[in-house]
Amino acid sequence: MSIRFRTVCAAAALAPLALLAACGSSGSTAGSSASASAAPAASSGSGATTISETGSSLLFPLFGTWQAAYSTDVTDVTITSGSTGSGTGIADAATGTVTIGASDAYLSAAQTAQYKGLINIPLTVAAVMVNYNVPGIKAPLNLNGTVLAKIYLGKITNWNDKAIAALNPGVSLPNLKIITVHRADSSGSTFLFTSYLNAQDPADWPSSNIGTTITWPSAPGSLAETGSGGMVTGAGGAKGSIAYIGISYLAKTQAASLGEASLLNKGGKYTQATDASINAALATFSGSTPANGAQSLINTTAPTGYPIINYEYAIVKTTQPSASVAKALKAFLSWTITTGSDAKTLATVGFEPLPSNVLTIAQNEIKSIKS
Amino acid sequence: MAATAPTAQPDGGAGTPPSRRLGAALREFVRTGAPIRWLGRVGAVVPLLALALILILLIDRALPAIQFSGLKFLTGTTFNFGSQYGTPVKSQGIVHQPGEIFGALPEILGTLVTSAIALIIAVPVSIGAAMVIVERLPRQLASYVGLFLELLAGIPSVIVGLWGALTFGPFIAHDIAPVIADTLGKVPGLQGFFGGETGNGQGLLTSGLVLAVMIIPIIAATARDLIRGVPILPREGAVALGMSDWETARRVTLPWVGAGLIGAAVLGLARALGETIAVAMVCGVALGQLPTNLYASMVTIAANIVQNLNTAITDPLDIRAFAELALVLMVITLATNVLARLMVRRVSGTALPVGRGL
Repeated sequence: MSIRFRTVCAAAALAPLALLAACGSSGSTAGSSASASAAPAASSGSGATTISETGSSLLFPLFGTWQAAYSTDVTDVTITSGSTGSGTGIADAATGTVTIGASDAYLSAAQTAQYKGLINIPLTVAAVMVNYNVPGIKAPLNLNGTVLAKIYLGKITNWNDKAIAALNPGVSLPNLKIITVHRADSSGSTFLFTSYLNAQDPADWPSSNIGTTITWPSAPGSLAETGSGGMVTGAGGAKGSIAYIGISYLAKTQAASLGEASLLNKGGKYTQATDASINAALATFSGSTPANGAQSLINTTAPTGYPIINYEYAIVKTTQPSASVAKALKAFLSWTITTGSDAKTLATVGFEPLPSNVLTIAQNEIKSIKS
Repeated sequence: MAATAPTAQPDGGAGTPPSRRLGAALREFVRTGAPIRWLGRVGAVVPLLALALILILLIDRALPAIQFSGLKFLTGTTFNFGSQYGTPVKSQGIVHQPGEIFGALPEILGTLVTSAIALIIAVPVSIGAAMVIVERLPRQLASYVGLFLELLAGIPSVIVGLWGALTFGPFIAHDIAPVIADTLGKVPGLQGFFGGETGNGQGLLTSGLVLAVMIIPIIAATARDLIRGVPILPREGAVALGMSDWETARRVTLPWVGAGLIGAAVLGLARALGETIAVAMVCGVALGQLPTNLYASMVTIAANIVQNLNTAITDPLDIRAFAELALVLMVITLATNVLARLMVRRVSGTALPVGRGL
């Protein structure tokens, strides 16, 4: 008994070590990973600079691609990334915990006042979809801000409600209870989605309910999920659910058999998020993007434009701790909006590149980073 | 050391170099046992200082929020981080974002009610399990079951949370909640709490059950050790008097360790009150909503703090409100601990527990 027990104990003690070793050699596929191991030792060899990133789970799939591509080109810079939500991105960049905070939301005036020297640099253009789990419906459902607001308020509780039927003539809607799914954590997708609800229906959805964390109205049976991935899982597992999910999770929503709604824009038409509709919407805003990059791109007037799009931001401090970090950061950010934003890379996540004038704004902001 | 001792001992002064004198003094200091005494003193003071420091710091940080919300913080049911992109306004002498309201009643109640549900389920189960392990199982098997209990107590809460969110929550929604709603929910007077919408597996019931799963091993392991410590004589006496097993357990064994059992329950309660991540994953994080029934989404203080800290940290007043939340949670846990101590004292006050209730 005692010898066997000792053997068991020894095995138990060794197991974590073995696990550690396994982690060290595995690839970077987890939610938070470092690409340090990918860098070959052939480079200069002297102290590598580390750029750390955390934040938006909408940007995360693209950031992972960037991380892998960049580390094969540049070997003396280590990039780490994390999918933690835009709120974390802003907070951690503000406190200096990370070099880059990724956010779907630009900095508010109050935040810029609170954290001096914090800037938001637009990197790319993303969109947020509205997805639903309603079996049997083939064509995309038409939805607008008013109906969505009433659904999330718990005033519309069944898919066969008159208000939904009115937007979808000829579609036979099932008698199925609606389950609203929203983010449990601090999220840029929540900010974009609630911005759209408020833009379309300020009476039902007041501006005090726009934010990365909001007080959700009491809708019976609603689900709260963490991260964009959690939204897909949550919505996929609950029949009758409705959710808002970043465009970079399109493939996953399709794998989970979720439908994607056509949303009403200010131009009075229903559109789905596509390259063309995102660019059409972008064209109505990009001309007036201010020099600090902070702009809402919600509810476009273009009839062919998709109404929930946004700039994905890198939140960084203009003053970096050392010259080497500042240099590496500037080089990396410049790379992401140029080489990193080629059509092939962005197509994998459904994002669009910055328009040329916004690219100039971003480059000017990157130039302002110093040590 | 042995070589230097004779030379240092006789004169202890003039002729010896300062380094050696210092060494001698140090050895003398160690010999008297002073380091242990000092270590003991420091060790005794540190926890007290830490507690005081945390309290002072929290109160200091929370002051603006206390001034802003007043008593509404404890009685209000609306919690809103405010419009982050609005123009700041001024009220109660504090400049803040529009829409900010901090009413923490739902999360205070959520914290207490989930812990209560957990305790109601965990205490009988744990004591029953402990009794069975000690009195019924063969010794070999009992030791394995005991080992298993201790392993269960060591499972990280995030894993229990994950299991709760992915497996246990949906199971409750499909198989347990409807049954409760059909039985207890039909009893007049209980309809409001047990009846109605049975939800989707996130909420009060799931949180309470997940917490119960987490505290059962803690209470059961402690109860097992206590019951094992009950002397055999009084139990044999009870059997000799013709008591059944049930009577022996109820009138002899359990009263003997009554105070200890309350202590074990408090250990579990403390864990349940402060448990963060598992509850955050299964409660539905329904800010500012009083649960309408047993299955409704809700939120606890700890879950709100862990899920929304990143929003709060970028707003000067929100983070103060979080400090006040932390203060409230601390007061709740301290109060339950004090209360439990008083109860333990009352129970253990009786001179001879055996035969109480006869």
